[in-house]
Amino acid sequence: MATVYMNNYLIVAIFLFLGILLPVGALTLARFLRPSNPTEEKRKTYESGVEPVGSSWVQFNVKYYIFALLFVVFDVETVFLYPWAVAYDSLGLFALVEMVIFIVLLVIGLIYAWKKKVLEWN
Amino acid sequence: MSSVSKWGNLAQYDWSVMSPEFIILGVATLLSLLDLFMNKKADRRILAWIGFLGIIVAGYFVVRNTGQNVVSILNDMYRVDGFANAFKLLFLSGVAFVFLISLTYIDESKNIRYSGEYYYLILTALLGAMLMASSSDLITLFVGLELLSISSYILVGTRKQHIHSNESAFKYVISGGIASAITLYGMSFIYGLTGSTNLYVIAERLSSVFYDGFDFLVYFSFFLMFVGFAFKISVVPYHMWAPDVYQGAPTPIAAFLSVVSKAAGFAIVLRVFLISFGSLVSFDMETGQQGSVLVNTLSVYIAIVAAASMIIGNTLAMRQVNIKRMMAYSGIAQAGYLLVPFATLTVLMFEQTMFYLVAYLFANMGAFAIIMLVNRDQKTEDLKSFAGLYHRAPWMAIAMTFFLLSLAGLPITAGFFGKFYIFMSAIVHSSYWLAGIMLATSVVSYYYYFGVIRQMYMRPGKTEAPLKVPASIGLVVLIALVGTVAAGIMPDPVMQYIHHKFPLQQMFQPGGQ
Repeated sequence: MATVYMNNYLIVAIFLFLGILLPVGALTLARFLRPSNPTEEKRKTYESGVEPVGSSWVQFNVKYYIFALLFVVFDVETVFLYPWAVAYDSLGLFALVEMVIFIVLLVIGLIYAWKKKVLEWN
Repeated sequence: MSSVSKWGNLAQYDWSVMSPEFIILGVATLLSLLDLFMNKKADRRILAWIGFLGIIVAGYFVVRNTGQNVVSILNDMYRVDGFANAFKLLFLSGVAFVFLISLTYIDESKNIRYSGEYYYLILTALLGAMLMASSSDLITLFVGLELLSISSYILVGTRKQHIHSNESAFKYVISGGIASAITLYGMSFIYGLTGSTNLYVIAERLSSVFYDGFDFLVYFSFFLMFVGFAFKISVVPYHMWAPDVYQGAPTPIAAFLSVVSKAAGFAIVLRVFLISFGSLVSFDMETGQQGSVLVNTLSVYIAIVAAASMIIGNTLAMRQVNIKRMMAYSGIAQAGYLLVPFATLTVLMFEQTMFYLVAYLFANMGAFAIIMLVNRDQKTEDLKSFAGLYHRAPWMAIAMTFFLLSLAGLPITAGFFGKFYIFMSAIVHSSYWLAGIMLATSVVSYYYYFGVIRQMYMRPGKTEAPLKVPASIGLVVLIALVGTVAAGIMPDPVMQYIHHKFPLQQMFQPGGQ
């Protein structure tokens, strides 16, 4: 029992070790195989072929954050709706009522966001 | 399948026992909708009354559940037993007091701009606390804990224009997050060792794990969870948030944190550790004797935590000039006293804890109601704002005296018998050192409790004008005073009532399935 428990952690340790070793090994190997010919263009940040402008330390509008939160609300809804839909026949009408309650609560969240003018961009 | 109706398997559970929670959830939802569609300038006090009504109705359903057999839903995810009902009644009455205090607090000072949200967030916090009292599954318990915590973080910061409120909300959310992480870390070990989140299954499997060489991990998970829960009950080592948070929080919320949130912490501590660790026994190799791990080994550490909380809470309270900070340190000390029954684990452990929590509820709610009134009138939270209160509002001063006496544990108040029972449990357990520290720190506490009394009676105030007492505050003070004195004169009926109506044994009966 004790050894079984510890062996589980051994697997974690092996994964950790491999996870560190692989990129280090691959990059070191590539270092010896590839020719070294740095130019100015190669050092630039790659931005879909567009010339990079300014520093990377820019502030994002806090509104993105609220949109992300709203997205999570509906994302989570889907996560719960799928297993329910799959097991619909065995769960019965009771689960349907529960699901309706769940969706109504999420709709209230949406109404809240709406009334608090989260959906307006200005 | 054919035997089950078209409603499915889930409909077979007795969902009616969850009515208190459903009502609180429904009222909180209703309040949030009403708040959204009400005129911005409209008076939000009507929401408080709707919420108050919801609490009363939920309380009625809890009373209807008491004295019944254990009901378990979804493999003990939710269960109703004596333990759960007792704590739920405590939370509901605590929140009812908070609502009454808030009515006056928000009414005149315009410092809480979103008072609608304030009311329904208290209800969601209450819902979390009720779940914490009423579940035997680590996942549901943790969800309840987080629902309570997250609602409280926001409530602490509701005075948006107030710099102290912002600071305290920030500190609260950071330290609370760390505490939750520690709790979860401890729970993850328990789950890893036993493969279940159900407390009864954990209890079954924990002893075999204990003997298979994982005793260290079992202890480790116990301490991690205990430290995490220590945040909620604000005992050493996780007490330092309390003074800052109480000072910055709106006064009714400080009252909420000091009573309801703390009681919820005790509910989860007792539930988790008594069920899952209660039956764990260890062999002594030399003497060949069997002994409970909780009683023999772990109780020492709980006793040390209790003693440290009493000493630190009571000593630091002496140096406070802000009354809310003083009450915070007093609350740390009270949590230390409340841990003593858990450390000594006598037969009457639950009755002792419950009695003390009831005494603490009345005394603290009454005291915070008067503190709110005096602070608002004097526009300062300084201890000196109490100067000359006896000449301005004699009844308030007398009531406050009783509340402070109860907190200090002096006779003819409930606090005296609460402390007496706890003290006796330490004596029965022959933890004389713990009883000694309890006695000594109680004497120390007289100093700061009597400091307030001295201000009220012997110091001249800035004004002699009579203090106007709003009806809701008067009602809170009256109920709290009657409760404090009644339980102080007749402690035995109260103990008997708790013993018969809320039997602790029910907690150890696993639900069906």
